[in-house]
Amino acid sequence: MSPEIFFQTLINGLFTGGIYALVSIGLTLIYGVMVIVNFAHGEFLTLGIYIAYWAFTLLGLDPYLSIPVAIILVGLLGAMIQRGLVQQVLDAHPLNQIILLVGVSTLLMGLMQFFFGAEPKTMHVSYETEVIKLFGLRMAIPRLIAFLASMFVSVGLYGFLKYTRLGKAIRAVSQSRQAAKLVGVNVNYIYMLTFAIGTAITAVAGVLLSPNHRMIPTMGQTYSVIAFVVVVLGTMGNFMGAFLGGLIIGVVEAYAGFYLGGDVKIIASMMIFILILLFKPSGLFGRQGT
Amino acid sequence: MTTVTSSRELPMYNRVVRRLFGSWDQTQLTFSFGLVLLMAISPLIIRSPYYIGVIILASLYAFIGISWNIVAGFTGQLLIAHIIFLGLGGYTTIVLLNNFGISPWFGILMGGVIAAIAGGIVALITLRYGLKLDYFALFTIALLVAMRTLFLKWEFVGGAVGMYLRLETPSVAKMIFASKLPYLYISLILLAAGVIIQYLIYRSKMGKYFIAIREDEAAAAALGVNTTLYKTLAVMIGTALAGVGGGFYVIYVTYIDPTGIYNLGVNAEIVMASPIIGGLGSLIGPLLGALVNKPIAEIIRANLAEARSGITLIVYGLFLIASIMFMPRGLAGLIHNVYDRLRTPTHQEEL
Amino acid sequence: MALLEVKNITKRFGGLYAVRSLSLEVDPGQIVALIGPNGAGKTTAFNVISGYYRADEGNVYFNQREITNLRPDQICSLGLVRTFQVVRPFQGISVLDNVMVGAYARTFDSKIAREKALEVLKFLDMHKIADQMASGLPIASRKRLEIARALATDPQMILLDETMAGLRPTETEEVIAMVRKLSERGIAILLVEHVMKVVMSLAEKVLVLHHGELIAQGTPAEVVRNQQVIEAYLGEADVAG
Repeated sequence: MSPEIFFQTLINGLFTGGIYALVSIGLTLIYGVMVIVNFAHGEFLTLGIYIAYWAFTLLGLDPYLSIPVAIILVGLLGAMIQRGLVQQVLDAHPLNQIILLVGVSTLLMGLMQFFFGAEPKTMHVSYETEVIKLFGLRMAIPRLIAFLASMFVSVGLYGFLKYTRLGKAIRAVSQSRQAAKLVGVNVNYIYMLTFAIGTAITAVAGVLLSPNHRMIPTMGQTYSVIAFVVVVLGTMGNFMGAFLGGLIIGVVEAYAGFYLGGDVKIIASMMIFILILLFKPSGLFGRQGT
Repeated sequence: MTTVTSSRELPMYNRVVRRLFGSWDQTQLTFSFGLVLLMAISPLIIRSPYYIGVIILASLYAFIGISWNIVAGFTGQLLIAHIIFLGLGGYTTIVLLNNFGISPWFGILMGGVIAAIAGGIVALITLRYGLKLDYFALFTIALLVAMRTLFLKWEFVGGAVGMYLRLETPSVAKMIFASKLPYLYISLILLAAGVIIQYLIYRSKMGKYFIAIREDEAAAAALGVNTTLYKTLAVMIGTALAGVGGGFYVIYVTYIDPTGIYNLGVNAEIVMASPIIGGLGSLIGPLLGALVNKPIAEIIRANLAEARSGITLIVYGLFLIASIMFMPRGLAGLIHNVYDRLRTPTHQEEL
Repeated sequence: MALLEVKNITKRFGGLYAVRSLSLEVDPGQIVALIGPNGAGKTTAFNVISGYYRADEGNVYFNQREITNLRPDQICSLGLVRTFQVVRPFQGISVLDNVMVGAYARTFDSKIAREKALEVLKFLDMHKIADQMASGLPIASRKRLEIARALATDPQMILLDETMAGLRPTETEEVIAMVRKLSERGIAILLVEHVMKVVMSLAEKVLVLHHGELIAQGTPAEVVRNQQVIEAYLGEADVAG
């Protein structure tokens, strides 16, 4: 492998990894606070991408301008789903939680298939083929923007969690529901907010993916699975772990794709997943913590 | 409520009623056989092959539901991607038939064997490495994705195209029939066997141990339950039945492909929906659930143009959500409440 | 010959010693109490003896047979069964079914298991609630169920973990009577207790644990007068009369 290809693959991997990081941060945030694995997580990414598609084809809105739309719409939906459904099963048997979320996932896929059809769709923006050359490496503009945006959002969310009052409340709940209650945090509100943030972030990832990306209603499933891998790898509930894990998996996949071919590269992530689950299920960062 | 008058003092009618409906378990068994019988005589009333086909699939879904019920319902194991084993059974059967000319009568059983072995391996791996709850669920999903990828690339089993049953002249040996009726009866025999096996397990030591593990594994261990052994048994039995179900499924629908079978949406529909709607952990749940959800799904699918697809997914999604939110014990749970009310002391003399 | 022999077991969590070089003996049919302030390591000791924790050092023998680090279910089949501090009934099934799980430890036959379970329930005066769902039981009944289940495994010895916690005085009396009944059947009992009244009225021998170490043992009367024991407990706000 020539150094040029090495670095090109690395860059491609990082760009993909940025998206994975964003999706995984959302998932790990939800897990860290509510101790529930959002089995419907990928569907919120799909929602994001379809929102971008809809805004683009109907209103001519550039996808990046759809980001606030996606955040609001999906955030609200996430909040409703949490308040209405997830809240009721927080203390139920994990099997019930999983089934509920699988039901939500199936329903969302069905709704998107109903409104947008099962055939693949693609959205073509004017700048999709534009490429910038940096340090001799080719970077597609939409992918570069997606990467930068996901970095920006990740850092922003990190700052929010670390420095704002609300963010600290969220972290408090993730550490101890009881203790947070004792110091006056409205735990149920935090649950709703966290789920809204987690799903909204994922939808943003979807919007960032939208330029020239093949969209089908079931595409979220793959991202769900990858997010599971990343979150377990980076330790469930660990923000930094999800962030770094996302980038790592993106890079690993890129190299796997180079050697094995694009359609089976996911097997590399699956192998990693299985190995982690067997040998270090607590992930790279050992114990839980946001 | 446990005070009992000697059976010999009661008139014949009361003895029969007690035998059939004396306990909730027995009641479920009686109803199950009643439903199987109804399905068996349905061709007398229903002539359309289309509707017979719905019944065939409903009974098959019930059988597969039973297989998952043993693992997830009785033993509480979060084996989400159960369809892996259905797929393995199906592929085994069709490969044996197409490539080696082996009759599905044997091939279906082999499908069960292969699936059971795979299930045993999965169980032992997860137990050896202590994968619990969510991690176990995620592991099975990872396996599903891995299987799909592998089968997509594996030419021997047809790769992405999958495998098709060579449709030849009808032959009993090859389980190819012109009419749907033989398929119906094979399916019903499988279902009846499943009902009996499920019942026997439920009433046995193994069944009680399964339930104990589901309710509280640590407490079960303290009482002498070898949890590793019994969890593995539960998985192997469930996956064996799933493999058999998969074998019959492929013979009936005549083809199988990786994306179609190693698929969480299909898993939700074929494996999970029936037991959940009917009542996970109960005896009659899978059967009841299948008989409710399959016909409803078919009616919806038939009445709304397939072009606006996604309706099936919407329906199943709503089913699953509604079950968890409003009927966690499923239809069987509702009927159980009615049954209990009928059995309160004022009606004791009837029994 | 002692039924249960614990020799120098040590259990560490990180750098912290939960139990340190603990040795004790229980003879067949004897009732022994293990007491000590909160955090003394009593439940940890139970967990090591019954196979839930691995001992870092030391050995446990039951009927002269080494059971150190065997699985809990193996230990149960050898005749040593435990209950849990926070009771763990099998919620979704009836009282009878709960006890049958215990009875199946000795048989594969459903009829025999059922008869055994009914016999145990009758013995403990619980047969009237045999068909009730375990989830609907009040706390005192759940504690009795815990004991009934353990009894159904036909043990030679039961480890009772803080059975009296959270019970009213009348309920405590009932459970004390129940424990005496178990003893009459020849079953040895090692109980962890906080409630001194129970210890005084039941135990033939008392062991006092403090910071994971045995600081005194003897008859209840002797132990209560022991200076070290008094000092250990003075750190505690509760020493119930």
